[in-house]
Amino acid sequence: MNEKDQYKNRIELLQGTLDMLILQTLQWGPQHGYGIVQALRLQSGDVLQVETGSLYPALHRLERQSWVQSEWKQSESKQKARYYRITAKGKKQLATDLGRWERIVEAIGSVMYVKPKESES
Amino acid sequence: MKWFSNFGFQRRNRELQEEIDAHLQMAIADRVARGETAEAARQAAVREFGNIPLVQDVTRQMWGGGWFEQIGRDVRYALRQLRKSPGFTITATAMLAVAICANSTVFSWIDGTMLRPIPGARDTDDLVSLQRGERNFSPTPPFSYLDYRDLREQNHTFTGILAYHHDWITLTGGALPERAYIANVSANYFDVLGIKPVLGRFFLPEEESRPVPNVVLGYSLWKTRYAADPAIVGKSIEIARHPVTVIGVAPEGVVGAMPGIREDLWVTLDPLGTDVWRMTHRSGGAVWLNVIGRLRPGVSRGQAAQDLDTVMHNIVAAFPDDHLGDNRITLDPMWRSPFGANGYMAATLPILLAFAAVVLLLTSANVATLTLVRFVSRRRELAIRQSLGANRIQLVRQMVLEGVVLSIVAGAVALVLTSWTSKTFAWFFPANSNPLILNGSMDHKVVIGIAVSSLLAGMLCGALPAWRSAHAPAIEVLKAESASISGGSRNRKLLSGLVVAQIALSLPLLVCSGLFLRTLRNLAGANPGFEQDHILTASVGLNIAGYSHDEEQVIRHKILDRVSALPGVKVASLTDWIPMTLGHKGDDAYPEGYVPHPHESLQVYHAEVAPRYFESLHIPILEGREFTPDDDEKAPRVLIVDQTAARRYWPGQDPLGKKLRIWGGLFTVVGVARNSTHIFVNESPEPIVYMSFFQVGYETIVQVKTEGNPVDLAPAVENAIHEIDTRLPVFDVRPMRESTQMASSFAVVQSALAGMFALIGLVLAVTGIYGVVAYRTQMRTHEIGVRMALGASRVDVLRLVLLQGLWLTGIGMALGLAFALGLTRFIARLLYGIGANDPVTIVSVVMLLGAMSLLACYFPAHRAMRRNPVTAIREL
Repeated sequence: MNEKDQYKNRIELLQGTLDMLILQTLQWGPQHGYGIVQALRLQSGDVLQVETGSLYPALHRLERQSWVQSEWKQSESKQKARYYRITAKGKKQLATDLGRWERIVEAIGSVMYVKPKESES
Repeated sequence: MKWFSNFGFQRRNRELQEEIDAHLQMAIADRVARGETAEAARQAAVREFGNIPLVQDVTRQMWGGGWFEQIGRDVRYALRQLRKSPGFTITATAMLAVAICANSTVFSWIDGTMLRPIPGARDTDDLVSLQRGERNFSPTPPFSYLDYRDLREQNHTFTGILAYHHDWITLTGGALPERAYIANVSANYFDVLGIKPVLGRFFLPEEESRPVPNVVLGYSLWKTRYAADPAIVGKSIEIARHPVTVIGVAPEGVVGAMPGIREDLWVTLDPLGTDVWRMTHRSGGAVWLNVIGRLRPGVSRGQAAQDLDTVMHNIVAAFPDDHLGDNRITLDPMWRSPFGANGYMAATLPILLAFAAVVLLLTSANVATLTLVRFVSRRRELAIRQSLGANRIQLVRQMVLEGVVLSIVAGAVALVLTSWTSKTFAWFFPANSNPLILNGSMDHKVVIGIAVSSLLAGMLCGALPAWRSAHAPAIEVLKAESASISGGSRNRKLLSGLVVAQIALSLPLLVCSGLFLRTLRNLAGANPGFEQDHILTASVGLNIAGYSHDEEQVIRHKILDRVSALPGVKVASLTDWIPMTLGHKGDDAYPEGYVPHPHESLQVYHAEVAPRYFESLHIPILEGREFTPDDDEKAPRVLIVDQTAARRYWPGQDPLGKKLRIWGGLFTVVGVARNSTHIFVNESPEPIVYMSFFQVGYETIVQVKTEGNPVDLAPAVENAIHEIDTRLPVFDVRPMRESTQMASSFAVVQSALAGMFALIGLVLAVTGIYGVVAYRTQMRTHEIGVRMALGASRVDVLRLVLLQGLWLTGIGMALGLAFALGLTRFIARLLYGIGANDPVTIVSVVMLLGAMSLLACYFPAHRAMRRNPVTAIREL
């Protein structure tokens, strides 16, 4: 799969879902920005490609809201990087986000599966 | 940018950079591990990461922090954007700087004259100038000393009322005699103005009307003539060959109470005891004082005028014979006081400031057009920023900030320019016989004015386009590529609106400047009723140099004889007044047998002229005779009236032989002269009476009709006078043509500035419409290509583009015409020989603007027409 195709298969993230995805990723332990991108891509089977232009502003915003904390650490490959860790407040937020996400999926699902599909190319 | 950095911000910035570097390093390492070459991996990682500065920028916005940091970020961003398009930045800054400078220059003139009417005085807002009788554009001193004293002592609404009278005098006693402007003042003069001496003291109340030869020196006179002598107080100096004692020195910058006139030194009302008559009478020559009062706190001008009217009413009742005619008192704030220069300033400068404001609006509209076009081409970037989380307010703020940055730079440039242009005001006033000190000033008020106008301009040219552009839905813009960049109908409407506004604003400017220019031409071409060419005038300071009356008369005769005998002199005469130099003498005259209407002013202009005066100026004597050498002090008093006086006082009768009472003396009319201009070409005719110079002449001005260029004769005339007595002060030697320019100097100010503003307006409007039509045509290149491919002819394309531009021009001109017709009413008073809605001017302006717009639209239309349809279609 070349880069162009990757780009095409990318799904635009709904506003607000990126925060939830980041917090979810950090559930597994502290991670740096690059690691979060990789984790999201792997876990979504190459479908979710987070743009750095969205990721870093989101990380810094989350830190300002005290949902994550950051510290500088050496990575396994001796690369000094900024690691983000989810806070207790962040975990609470994640639970709220998740609840809301499930309601949305349910609501959209109920709409989509009851109505007959109209024209589809 | 250093200015906005602080420790925390720099550290976070560095960390963000390191964070991104780490990200890239890890990405590269992963790619290399997958087998890519180091270089390819680096390139791919960077490409994948995207626009690093943009990511940094958006991330920084998440930090929030103090407003200082936010503003710092926005300013940095604005500066980066402006640096990216230097053409736009320089053009917009230059245009704004010129427009702001136009405003600040006129404002600095207003500031230096109307807003600083009496330099050095305290709270000039509380000061009012008093006028008695009919309101007049250039009044003579309206009060006698006794009337003034009664008003001062019997009013209930003033904390103080001062009086003064000023004139030239010669300072003798030094190595060289020097002419200075001296004022006779009431003892409370400096108290009422709120001025304290830098040395010594000012006058005491008991000195006011008594002959106490004390003098107060002006600061600059003290510095220049008396070498800033710190021990000057108590010393004796000589004024017109009389010893007087210096009692004090006024502070630097204090130049007296008449706006625009510089007084050099001050004495009391009758310092030598030689003017007892003037101090003890209430009419005629005893009416010689200008009066200024300081209102009590909380008292309005109307209340004060009523109060003074009551006092004046009692004075008139007590001394009816001294107060025939109109005696109502009117008060004016100093900024528009008819005494001094501010009457003229108040009639001219506010209108010019309004013009300048229109220029600023016009420029803002023009810069807004440029900004809008620029934003439309930046929509993609803006949309990305929006999708990355920047909210609309942030975007608007950033774009407004770009406008503000532009206008601040423009304001700074304007500030530098204004510090020079504010001093150009003095250029408009030709050399003349008044100690004029008119100029602009550059103080905090002007700086605040510049700041306010530049910020307003910045908001105007940033906010409008920003608000429009920020409304663009991000997703749509991102999806639609450059094809839809032409910007949707809303932007098109705004662009068109801005163009219409520019044309609508420039049209009235052009109409007004056209009217002013034609007024100036009419003034220059008008016949003043006397011959100005080949006339040389020279003032001789006989009355101010301390000669006795008999000596004066002898010297005057000698001057006349010697100057008449000079080769190149056709006619020589003497006078004490030169017409059209803003000055005149006026006194109440009581024609025998004439019953004045209630409240009619009996004041007449008067001039004292020697034999052959009328001959030298080519003013015909219609009836009777001119003065002869026999009309001297031994002969009965005679006078010559002009047609206006004759018609007013003796309608339908023969004025010859009629009598007029002036200064308590009876004068017999011996001639009638044709009307001629007194002060302004566009004045309404006022009666003037000419009296015989050798009977009542005061000042001495030699008036010579020359064969050739009058300037060539100036040295010879001066020599001839000095041959009589080398100590005779001779000054203001110049051709009459030069002196009379004073009368049109305000017309020159008006038309010069209005012309300049109109030219700026025209250029802006034409470039504005050119820019918009060119831009929109370029955006429609594809459409035009399609039209041509489908069979539209080149003429069709030309018509399409032209019509679009002309439609805008038409709407703009219709609006502008309505605007202009409303506006010209305000300048009607300043026009001469032309109506405020002069059709010729309006039609030519409309044609000029129309032709220029047509030309401006033609170039883009022509370019579009010449396009190859095939390449045009390809171009998206």
